[in-house]
Amino acid sequence: MTIISLSHIDKSFGPVRIVKDLNLTIEDQEFLVFLGPSGCGKTTTMRMVAGLEQPTMGEVAFDGKRINEVPTQRRDVAMVFQNYGLYPHMSVAQNIAYPLKLRGVAQGERDKLVAQAAERVELGPFLKRMPRELSGGQRQRVALARSIVRTPRVFLMDEPLSNLDAKLRVVARAQIKHLAEDLKVTTIYVTHDQVEAMTLAHRVAVMQDGVIRQLGAPEDIYNDPADSFVAGFIGSPAMNLLPVHAQGAVLQAEGGMQIRLPAPRPGALTLGARAEDMRLANLDDAHFQADVFTFELLGDCTMATVMVGHTLVAIKAQKDLRLRSGERIGVCFDPRRLYWFDQSTGARIRD
Amino acid sequence: MTAIAHPDATAGYQASAREQATHWVRQLVVIVLISAILLPIAWIFLTAFKTPRDVYSISSALWFTPTFENMQTVFRDPWNLGSKIVNSLAVAGGTVLLAMPMATMAAYAFSRFDFRFKQAIFLIVIASQFIPAAVVVLPYFLMFKEAGMLDTRTALVLVNLSIVLPYAVWMIKGFIDAVPMEIEESAMVDGAPRSRVIWEIVVPTALPGIITAAVFSFTLTWNEFLFALIIGKQHALTLPIGLIGFRTERGDLWELMAAGGVLITAPMFLISLLVQKQFVGSLTAGSVR
Repeated sequence: MTIISLSHIDKSFGPVRIVKDLNLTIEDQEFLVFLGPSGCGKTTTMRMVAGLEQPTMGEVAFDGKRINEVPTQRRDVAMVFQNYGLYPHMSVAQNIAYPLKLRGVAQGERDKLVAQAAERVELGPFLKRMPRELSGGQRQRVALARSIVRTPRVFLMDEPLSNLDAKLRVVARAQIKHLAEDLKVTTIYVTHDQVEAMTLAHRVAVMQDGVIRQLGAPEDIYNDPADSFVAGFIGSPAMNLLPVHAQGAVLQAEGGMQIRLPAPRPGALTLGARAEDMRLANLDDAHFQADVFTFELLGDCTMATVMVGHTLVAIKAQKDLRLRSGERIGVCFDPRRLYWFDQSTGARIRD
Repeated sequence: MTAIAHPDATAGYQASAREQATHWVRQLVVIVLISAILLPIAWIFLTAFKTPRDVYSISSALWFTPTFENMQTVFRDPWNLGSKIVNSLAVAGGTVLLAMPMATMAAYAFSRFDFRFKQAIFLIVIASQFIPAAVVVLPYFLMFKEAGMLDTRTALVLVNLSIVLPYAVWMIKGFIDAVPMEIEESAMVDGAPRSRVIWEIVVPTALPGIITAAVFSFTLTWNEFLFALIIGKQHALTLPIGLIGFRTERGDLWELMAAGGVLITAPMFLISLLVQKQFVGSLTAGSVR
């Protein structure tokens, strides 16, 4: 039962300002994901919650009580590190038991709790092994078990899946989601993977350059991005963002290409559209025409890519469609699902 | 490999004359180097079990009837190597026991904490070893004389600490640097105060380094000669000082000196045998990634 509040948090390393006047309240039992490219300040922010970094300015509070001065070991948080941070000289069981040992839990009780935690992440048969005898996925689960062996006030996860291969990542992701729902502990999760953010989070905080660009539920972030950075970061493939110049009912795109769409206002704009909100059309009816750059089979669908100036534009298409590179195609937007941004500031233009 | 390869396939891999020549030159260099190191040691081990007559006889250089007489003589009056072994053990052991915790703490601080003039202080610590012992031996002598500590094992431990600590700090720091920061942060998040982080996480992980430093320090102290010679007089004489006692007016008693030499080197051999196990595989494997 912990509400985490960050108010006016600033963090600089020397002359570099990593986090800039960050304000955020994370609700009790919420699963909040910090999402952003590397160097955006997401990990630093989490480390300030853990007490591993001190904010240069501002206040970190748990349940309204300032904890800036409380050292890490007394904050009662649990953390899963990107590299797992297992103790190399201790067996799996000793690793998981260490937080309990530090709290003076008796041996018998400790063994019981360790067995339970290990069971939850399916590590039962490996308790006697040393970390170096485990695979990456198993090590990741040891780190997870160590964090759930007690009930901490806050869970912190720093890219816990980034060292796993793609297949294992999906399994581990489901496991984390299940655990989080089960344990009902306030969780902060840091990732640069937007799929993890979309699947795990109650709310996502998209960060760039030490600033939260947008804070909201995954579907809001996806469907209603606040600016072109968020739009371009979320989604797979990312949203198509075309720099255009609006003149009357036509958009002048790069490379002298014309797009037959009305703009909300004249001038330099960025037009955004997701691959699934675009379709192929007859050359005559299309909003614009282009030559196929690549054509990919993705199993459940196909993806056609065209070049507009220097920008690649991806269009999702039906799975039985076949196109050849260089083929001329017409492309249509879904007028109800267009996003307009100011080209210089990146701010969303709503009509 | 050759067994499964097609006979013709290996033909192209015949070593050229030039390659063969380099091979033999390399072998020769290795043999010369090893001989230079091992022959004197072999000579000492053989001589320790020879009678005085055999020592000077070419015909019994390798073939002779071994005697344990020398080993017994060195423990009797006037040589009394027994008490010198005790002194050497006490001084070397005491030095290592004191040096390791001190060096580990200092190394941890140099490795993990940021403080003013850190680089400069570290450099000064290391640089203190560039001063030749002969330069400081007299000040040390006067200091201990003033303090009434001449001819004590305590004085020798103190001197040896000053010799050993800089090396130990430097060696252990290297190993602590290699301990991933995440492990320590993990422990802190798990609820460990700094003291337990160091004792329960960092020290066990850096243990190979600490043991290396301990062995190195022990060797250095065990063989230390100059200070032991100046500070010791009667009670605090160590093994290396005992050895020069075999240069007498009757000449050099090689067979006794060799017996003493065996007694000096034997513990080193034992320790290196025991310690070798420690270096098999890195302890940090598997902690991160």
